[in-house]
Amino acid sequence: MKVKLLRVVAISMSMLFATTAIAEIKVGFIGSLSSDTGLSTLRGAEIAIDELNAKGGVLGQQIKLVTADTRQDVTEGVKAYEYLAETEEVDFIISGSIDDVSLGWLPRMQEYQIPTLDTWTSYIGIIDMLVEDYDSMKPYFMNIASDEALATLYIDFGKDVLVDKMGWKSTVILQEDTAFGGAIHGLISQAMAPVAGIDVVETIVYDVATVDFAPLYSRAVASGADFIYLISSVNSQVVSSQYVKLQVPMGMTGVNVAPMGQDYWEDTGGMGGGMSTLTPIPAVGMKLDPASQAFVDTYQAKYSSRPIIPHFNGFNAYHGLKQAMAAAEEAGGFNNTTWVSAMEKQDLILELDGELWLRYAFWGNDEVEPRTGRKYPHNLRFDITEPFDDGAPSMVVIQWYEDGTNAVVYPEKYANGEFTLPSWVKK
Amino acid sequence: MGLGLKWYHFALWIGFIIFMLLMPEMVSKGTLRTIIFANFLAIFAISWDILSGRTGYISFGHPFLIGIGAYTTAILTKRFDVGVEYAIPLAIAMTMIGGTIMFLPALRIKGSYFALVSLAFMELMYQLVQVIRPDLTGGTRGMSGLVTLTRGAVNGYYLSFTIMIIVALSMWLLMRTRLGTALSAIALNEESVKGSGLSPTKLKLFAFMTSAFVAGLGGAFYVHYLGSIAPRALFDINFVFTIIVATLIGGASTIVGPMFGAFFLTFLLEYLRPYLPGAERYLIYGVIALLLYMYQPKGLYQIMINQFNRFKKDEDDG
Repeated sequence: MKVKLLRVVAISMSMLFATTAIAEIKVGFIGSLSSDTGLSTLRGAEIAIDELNAKGGVLGQQIKLVTADTRQDVTEGVKAYEYLAETEEVDFIISGSIDDVSLGWLPRMQEYQIPTLDTWTSYIGIIDMLVEDYDSMKPYFMNIASDEALATLYIDFGKDVLVDKMGWKSTVILQEDTAFGGAIHGLISQAMAPVAGIDVVETIVYDVATVDFAPLYSRAVASGADFIYLISSVNSQVVSSQYVKLQVPMGMTGVNVAPMGQDYWEDTGGMGGGMSTLTPIPAVGMKLDPASQAFVDTYQAKYSSRPIIPHFNGFNAYHGLKQAMAAAEEAGGFNNTTWVSAMEKQDLILELDGELWLRYAFWGNDEVEPRTGRKYPHNLRFDITEPFDDGAPSMVVIQWYEDGTNAVVYPEKYANGEFTLPSWVKK
Repeated sequence: MGLGLKWYHFALWIGFIIFMLLMPEMVSKGTLRTIIFANFLAIFAISWDILSGRTGYISFGHPFLIGIGAYTTAILTKRFDVGVEYAIPLAIAMTMIGGTIMFLPALRIKGSYFALVSLAFMELMYQLVQVIRPDLTGGTRGMSGLVTLTRGAVNGYYLSFTIMIIVALSMWLLMRTRLGTALSAIALNEESVKGSGLSPTKLKLFAFMTSAFVAGLGGAFYVHYLGSIAPRALFDINFVFTIIVATLIGGASTIVGPMFGAFFLTFLLEYLRPYLPGAERYLIYGVIALLLYMYQPKGLYQIMINQFNRFKKDEDDG
């Protein structure tokens, strides 16, 4: 009996004291391993690392990727960051986290001062933290345009297309009951609608577990609004496909996560036509520069499971990770002062047909964006003023058509399709 | 007082405390971080055990109490620059008021009805935080950059362990008093308690208040450890289940059991992480928890008691 007890104690202790040896350059991935967006960041990082390792790695060492799943849960995100920092002792972290998850682990980033690149979160509040406390936040970079920049350009879409082109003056908001839904609702009701001159006549909030949208669409039609503004990120293929199936007799646009991925058409069983959404770039339906197209080709050759084409954050991870490693080469490591300076100088301009198409660079600490008149330190260097010659726009609007094709419909420089109503909606 | 304390009780507690105090010398910082979460989960599980394990009033809404403590101190420190030395006691007081509110339905309903009402409390809080004054609560995204009381794994570990051990030891002693026995009697037969001349209402109120005190204390220190707060992190059904499973796996109505359960669950998940980084580890975690619960419904605490008794019997036999 004593021997048994001792054996149990010995095994428990050996597990308790187990630590991981450190050898090569370690990159940590933090994000959800069970979502298309999380997998996009992970796979973008994997391809970048494969390519860098094939060329000899970074700082003369091979790069190893370790993953920490957040399950899109805030507390799990904190644990995941701690795991990467203290158990795996990573040199650099690439994140595919959503807003509140990133906000959850940010205090850990401030404590550990590990260079961290966020590819999915676009929350302006994080950039505000950089403005307010640059010293403790400086290892943090966000290579997606912040939501404020995204909103500014989206207001233009409201004026140029929804009001001027379509003649719409009122909307009914159909919003899912999530943190994302609440945040976007604020953007639409307080920013886009009043500035563009659109009246929000009603907001219908629905549970993400809703399977029958017929009563909600009936209510939307009864509201008398000109169009439905959909805000959906969870199970959004359900609400989208029922719009088609029920042939809801009014136009619908919005912020809808499912159509942002190429898997959308299959997910809706071919009933996703007519849906449009704003999306960060690079978006589905958007023409790609040669470097980004090569990334997609490699991606499709390497992965057979969904997402069949990486979401925008996959591109951000691919290009961003290479920039982070280039900065490390330049700085001689991941020191939070020299690396930060080197990362701030990274500037990747990707051209298509001889003109700037995508740009991966960052706003400087003291630079002021001319249109909004504010600073965006360490945020992707976006451009929200035509002709978009200083950077790519903060977002585009894409549309899925009834034949299963998709295209960018706004802004004009990137548009390769028209914003149209589905065939069953009378103009 | 009739606490029924034996020499080995002191020996085990002192041995445990010494072992835990030496922990930073023996394990990596990553492991310490894991223990910190286990310490906080143990506090929450003990809080749940005082209320639900003892009195039988199953609460599915415990994050309602934890959230009041966490949000009160977060708002006071972040929005009004109140020092943590004032914010934390105020947060605990607010949580005890919340405990009183939660107690009111228990005057009229029990069993599954109370469980559902308690769940409604959590859901209500989740909605309120997002709707009522998002400028204070941070709305759906919550708040980041809150005051942290410690920096580094070692300091965080000592702080969380100190709170956990004080809570555990004081509650363990409290539950060994006649008051603790009376609380357990409520779960068995509330009418008999009334028949014996005791007031079930007062006893239940005491259990709710004590549970709320511990939940508020844990919630307040937890948020100042994390440095951030979000409604989805607290008012979440998974969080409730983690607290309940930790208590049941460890051994409900024992105070010590929830500690074991919290450590077991936290370490099980973290040790599976390098081998199963994705959702699979939650499946393994669920299966192990289920098997363990089926093997011994009274939890790890009972397994250890049985092992100890068998070991003692072997010693006595030869």
